[in-house]
Amino acid sequence: MAKQYGFYFDADRCIQCRACEVACKSVRDIEPGINWMRVVEIWGGVYPNVTRDFFVLACMHCGKPACIEVCPTGAISKRDEDGIVVVDRDKCNGCQECLSACPYGVPQFGDDGIMQMCDFCADMNIEPPCAVCCPTEALKFGNIDELLEMAKGKGARRMGGPTEPSVIIVGELQLDNLVV
Amino acid sequence: MKEAPTNKGTLCPKAFASVQWVYSPQRLKYPLKRIGKKGESKFERISWDEALDTIASRLSELKEKHGPESLAILAPARRSYCDYLQRFLIAHGSPNYGHSGLCFIQAAFGFAYTLGWPWLNRDGADFEHANLIVVWGANPAYAAAPLGNLRRILDAKKRGARLMVIKPEMQPDAAKADIWVPIRPGTDGALALAMLHVIINENLYDADFVSRWCYGFDKLVPHIQKYNPEWAEPITGLSADQIREVARIYGTTKPACILAGNAFDQVADSNNAVRAVAILIAITGNLDRPGGNIVPTGTTMPMVKSVHLRERYTQDFVDRLVGPEIASCFQPFMEGTSSAYYRCLDSVLTRKPYPIRAIIAPGTQPTVTTRGSKRVVEALGKLEFFVVIDVMQNSSMPWADIVVPVATMYECDHPFEVTGNWIMARNKVIEPLGDYKSDYEFWLDLAVKMGYGKDFWDGSIEKCMNYQLENFGITIEELRAHPTGIIYEPKPMVYEKYEKIFTTPSTRLSRAPYLPQGKVAIYNTTFEENGFNPLPEWIEPPESPTATPELLAKYPLVFFDAHTSDVYNAAWLRNLPYLREIQPEPWVHIHPETAKARGIKNGDWVIVESPHGWIKVKALYFEGIRPDVVMGLHGWWQGCDDLGLPGYPILDGGANVNVLYSTDPDKAFDPMVTAMPKQTLVEVRKA
Repeated sequence: MAKQYGFYFDADRCIQCRACEVACKSVRDIEPGINWMRVVEIWGGVYPNVTRDFFVLACMHCGKPACIEVCPTGAISKRDEDGIVVVDRDKCNGCQECLSACPYGVPQFGDDGIMQMCDFCADMNIEPPCAVCCPTEALKFGNIDELLEMAKGKGARRMGGPTEPSVIIVGELQLDNLVV
Repeated sequence: MKEAPTNKGTLCPKAFASVQWVYSPQRLKYPLKRIGKKGESKFERISWDEALDTIASRLSELKEKHGPESLAILAPARRSYCDYLQRFLIAHGSPNYGHSGLCFIQAAFGFAYTLGWPWLNRDGADFEHANLIVVWGANPAYAAAPLGNLRRILDAKKRGARLMVIKPEMQPDAAKADIWVPIRPGTDGALALAMLHVIINENLYDADFVSRWCYGFDKLVPHIQKYNPEWAEPITGLSADQIREVARIYGTTKPACILAGNAFDQVADSNNAVRAVAILIAITGNLDRPGGNIVPTGTTMPMVKSVHLRERYTQDFVDRLVGPEIASCFQPFMEGTSSAYYRCLDSVLTRKPYPIRAIIAPGTQPTVTTRGSKRVVEALGKLEFFVVIDVMQNSSMPWADIVVPVATMYECDHPFEVTGNWIMARNKVIEPLGDYKSDYEFWLDLAVKMGYGKDFWDGSIEKCMNYQLENFGITIEELRAHPTGIIYEPKPMVYEKYEKIFTTPSTRLSRAPYLPQGKVAIYNTTFEENGFNPLPEWIEPPESPTATPELLAKYPLVFFDAHTSDVYNAAWLRNLPYLREIQPEPWVHIHPETAKARGIKNGDWVIVESPHGWIKVKALYFEGIRPDVVMGLHGWWQGCDDLGLPGYPILDGGANVNVLYSTDPDKAFDPMVTAMPKQTLVEVRKA
């Protein structure tokens, strides 16, 4: 299989501190109201037996990206060399078909109406600050085969779903109640 | 930077947003003097010389007319410049360091006078070796350094330690817990007493440790009998069975450590609650043993010489306190002599025992920081001279006579960072964006103008820093040669240092030990001699379902607040767009059933009204909160111009939670440590 970059997410360690959200916004200088990275919460059960989980919602750089299928202008593509899904902002016409198709509501549209989203800081020559700076080491970035191998003993598994998200999950996480 | 031993290069969201803090359009840029009426916010620019001359001449004049104690400097929490404030006050001759009763000090007091060491909960929880970790009214997720306690707790959990979290709402640490104990706010002391009852009566205590190292256990046994779990049930809102279970888990899981936080001790029952927990730690054999609450052995790093002038204290200083924060008989405590922050302001109105006439507020906003905002605003209106020192325009500035702008830590190259076993010279990252001095330079320069230059290195910050480094045998310039600082070796840990811990000299002028018997003071003869209860008891909050049942018809819900959230600290940071867009409006967390019963939808604006005042905030549905409790966030007043989001009034109708609380002189203060409650009864209705 070709090289595929992705996130490693340890649900037992994420505390929704939002360092990744603000690191992303501040390093990438993202306009207000737009989030390439969000930490969402997932509630379950009934008081006092409630559960509260957290999950990072950035582009999952899926193995089978639904956004690419529906894009009428061919603006979105998946890079052969590292599996990163990128948008060519010159080609995008702002139709938002990708947003409808994405099961995770990832594509973002700011003032210019053109799609923008996480690109793993591909052209910045930096490791994504969201992962580097995670205070609890809940979030890591890398080649997903290596991430999976590294965390084998911790019950690591690849996130399920028809689009094959490039996310390795560790720890208890009930994604059924995820609302995006 | 990755080399920093404190955070290893990771940061919290507040730090990532600091670029917007430094470059904020709300930064103060130069010294100001008030030209309008108090509260009107009309100012004009003045020079540094004029600012310093005005402050010096007004302080000198008031000192001459009314004595040096007419000056108070407010300092709610420990910051790097706090010893400079004490030095200035002592040189001036005032004991009135206006410390808050809202920080670690009240817990430090109870731990020191029960177990001999003040920091048993802050620095002493030995997560690495514990099989049970109890987080009790603390918030390690939002209120600590990113690589601080929470990360250690998560590591311990992964290793197999159990986590029990005691707090009314399911914050992230509670979400990770094996056992969440949703206690009613402000009743932790009652739970601790009932846990003692169970642990003693079910023989779950360490009899050997108790007989060897505890004083007065025999007196505690009959005393505790009235505090059974059935007694605690209606107070805490936990069932007697659940209280027994919590006590048994803590009593039988060895070793166990407790991390207690401010929610636990910001109550009128503060000192009792801390003592009860201290006794729990001791009698279960968890004191200074691996995995319990320990006294660290420290490092080989020399002591940074403090600029505090505590050696000059005399009894006269203690006797002149306007409103002692810690009861006078125990002054000075850790911070030096201190009056309670709120009581400094209150004296302006009561004139008892005398009025404070001048207040300097460095980096603190009395308008929103302490309870009783209405009285505070009234006091600020009557104060003869008020100086605000800050980085940013703040909510107390409208009442200031002089406003002093200071540099951020990114804009000055002093003093140094000292944490644990690491010391590093601070490096300037950018040139100051305005006409700034640092906080430290300000105090040196003002002291020189006041004629106190001899005590302030004649205004030389360089000499001041070199004085502090004397024990290191290097100068600040030499320290700068180590760009990432110097790390010293930790000393090997030694446990069960009881002879040493239990003979620690106190900070009182007599230096008499905290523990006169050289043992854990279960029965506290020092307190008894000074007219306080020698055994921990229960004191009800000013308002609660059990304290004031007659209020429940009108105010059926318990309200409390957090001081820190994921993106905000205290009364700051709302003007930073990166953070404000995450939490755009002031809020109250409410259980969906509680909200629906009042016709309140998720996101509706609501009025929260207590017997003392009302605020208007957004109701946010929160599944993980007691249905009889609602929770707000401290410190809302600031607007965010960049996002077009408004600020809020300080008094009724705004979003400042401190208008909701009692300031009743008989009920709203812990009698020993002045802690002021942050719980009350409210009703919530659609705005």
